[in-house]
Amino acid sequence: MSQLPMIAVRPNEMATLAAETQPEPQPAMQVRGLGVRFGSKLVLSDVDMSFPTGRITALIGPSGCGKTTFLRSLNRMHDTTPGAVVIGTVLLGDTDIYSSDIEATQVRARIGMVFQRANPFPTLSIYDNVVSGLRFNGIRKRAILDEAAEGALRAAALWDSVEHKLRTSAMRLSGGEQQRLCIARALAIEPDVLLMDEPTSALDPIATMRIEALLRKLCERVSIIIVTHNMQQAARVSDYCGFLMVDDARVGHLIETGPTVSIFSKPRDSRTEDYVTGRIG
Amino acid sequence: MDAIPQPARPVLEEDLERIRSVTLAMGDLVDQAIHRATDALVRRDVAIANEVIRGDVAVNALQADARQLCFTAIITQAPVARDLREIMGFQHMAGELERMGDHCVNIARVARDLADLPPLGDYVDIPKLSQQVAVQVRDILSALVAHDVDRARATAARDDLVNRLYHRLVDELILLMSENPENVYRGTNLIAVCQNFERIGDRVTNLAEDLVFLEAGDIEELG
Repeated sequence: MSQLPMIAVRPNEMATLAAETQPEPQPAMQVRGLGVRFGSKLVLSDVDMSFPTGRITALIGPSGCGKTTFLRSLNRMHDTTPGAVVIGTVLLGDTDIYSSDIEATQVRARIGMVFQRANPFPTLSIYDNVVSGLRFNGIRKRAILDEAAEGALRAAALWDSVEHKLRTSAMRLSGGEQQRLCIARALAIEPDVLLMDEPTSALDPIATMRIEALLRKLCERVSIIIVTHNMQQAARVSDYCGFLMVDDARVGHLIETGPTVSIFSKPRDSRTEDYVTGRIG
Repeated sequence: MDAIPQPARPVLEEDLERIRSVTLAMGDLVDQAIHRATDALVRRDVAIANEVIRGDVAVNALQADARQLCFTAIITQAPVARDLREIMGFQHMAGELERMGDHCVNIARVARDLADLPPLGDYVDIPKLSQQVAVQVRDILSALVAHDVDRARATAARDDLVNRLYHRLVDELILLMSENPENVYRGTNLIAVCQNFERIGDRVTNLAEDLVFLEAGDIEELG
């Protein structure tokens, strides 16, 4: 029998092919009936969604639809917001992260976060930034910290450019490097899930592409959930997408989830189609 | 949510309209070419045959326009979902229509070659095959204008009729050739004509599949 030519399949195409032929991977996280209220104002309601392990899931939707609110509820970032109430269940594996016997710090040790603007600790060196999470968790052994720092910086594609200046201030790095440093800092604690809130919106196109290339490698070791305003970025980097939108009362709802290629080629809901084609925004 | 004035993407909408217009213009030219090529064959008219051959330049030019418009829309407008399907669908349709134009040229060339020879069996039922293929082309173009997926499927289903006519004609031509060796030259040429009409019918089915993909997002095998 003649040999068929090998065809390179992109990872997010794989997700679509996989979704058609086999069940999606076990969820790293799941939310059931999730809602978020600030005082009397309900901003997110009744969200059910799964985030597959080892995959990149993008949350997309118009401004004000609750994407960031949703993301922040996934590692209890609303705990310190006055008046914020999170309703429903958020599972990390089998663990409800809002269970009364679980501390927010325990949750954040397993669910890292990278923000829109790079936020390295300004008074700390590159090295100290990377190991800050480990030190916060009580790890003091130099060998362990060194190994974790190198591993995280390599994973964040930053090791080669900072290897010889680990003791210099993190603020000496470029914007793109600072963001990768923040990714390295989040990775150093070896989280199960990495939340990213528009991680490239403050970066130039080259730095953006480097981060996007990095995400694809990172999802081999961590499940990623990314909020992005940039639909092309969602199409480029993610395996799965969730589209959110506000209703007439300006409450955010999850409209549709699915493999990214499906969302951008044949969405099920007309509102998703209107959004991804730029008819609403 | 605040109402967005329609169309929300005027440039993309304009690009899509131009791509549709160019593709439909190609369809009209091909429709005319089928009729003219058949006329040339039946009337043994070299002038009409030459018109069909020269006229294909316009079909090819429109296909180049369609390709350029699709390419520009993709790189400047980053279309997705239905918009992207529409662009891909129309680009493929333009390719199919261009090939239909080539089939008409092939038929016109045969008409030119046979113009000085006496007709063979009054060209059997080739005009009937041509007429059925022309109906198929017009039906699929109407379905395209009306965004009518059901009509596209029904048109594709009627390709069986074209195929049956084609096979009957080939049988008849083979019989004529076996009866008299002097019929072989004209017979083989007329079989080539039938094959070209039959291939136009197949391409109508491809257009129907494109329309289903474009409208419904499903890849269906209609042939």
